[in-house]
Amino acid sequence: MKMIGALLKQLKISCEDTSPLISESMDHRISLGKKLRIKIHLAICGACQCYKTQLDIIKTLARKLGAEDSDLKNEVSLRPELKYKIKHSLKTNS
Amino acid sequence: MYRYTLLRVKDVDSAEEIVQNTFMAAIQAQSNFAGLSTEKSWLFGILKHKIMDHFRGQKRLMSFNLSDNDDSTEPDYDTSGHWRIFPKDWGLDPEKAAENNELARHLQGCLDGLPEKFRQIFIMKEVDGLDSTQICNEFDIKPTNLWVILHRARNQLKQCLEAHWLSKQEDKKTKS
Repeated sequence: MKMIGALLKQLKISCEDTSPLISESMDHRISLGKKLRIKIHLAICGACQCYKTQLDIIKTLARKLGAEDSDLKNEVSLRPELKYKIKHSLKTNS
Repeated sequence: MYRYTLLRVKDVDSAEEIVQNTFMAAIQAQSNFAGLSTEKSWLFGILKHKIMDHFRGQKRLMSFNLSDNDDSTEPDYDTSGHWRIFPKDWGLDPEKAAENNELARHLQGCLDGLPEKFRQIFIMKEVDGLDSTQICNEFDIKPTNLWVILHRARNQLKQCLEAHWLSKQEDKKTKS
């Protein structure tokens, strides 16, 4: 097992080499060589498969949070005094 | 609008000020509203500009230094480059993850725990879906820096979610 690890490290396809590439592949189109290194590593490493799934989940959820009509944090709202202040300013300025 | 702003700027006072300034700007520019979009999208358009102005203002106050924002939470690997602590199976399908409100709430909490620059950059890229070139220009960084920052931000978020959300799920399973 240690020998396989050393070989993967030498070939630059260890978990340490691959995890930044998995993240990078989410940000821009990566080279064919990098794609291949990810593919080979994921084919043999369950831990990095989990890592990739975790990053995909975070990506999906981040988009949900960003939606203008996100129903999360419904308990948060503008202070009533400020709402009144804005309404008042709108009336006097319109 | 307030909720949308608070997620992005974190600070309650700044979020209130931005929302207030958005309405003031909208009143002053109401003659420019051509009715081509809904009033809501028009207001959100102004709001997004105000949020970006806020980030720009903060950028002037804080010079960017990658090492300052590194919380040293880079995942640990052993000498052969293997994970020291293996990433766990969260038992979720990424495509269905959006339905998990509890996890989304935890992610929101974890976002607030990121170093400020990491948080702003992650929000621009992953929450608002801005183009990498635009983000690099805003923060005056190279694309390679951007990828490193996003990688570190994702790792910190992953670790935070495992510590706060996943551990609760595992507790629930053990009790039931």
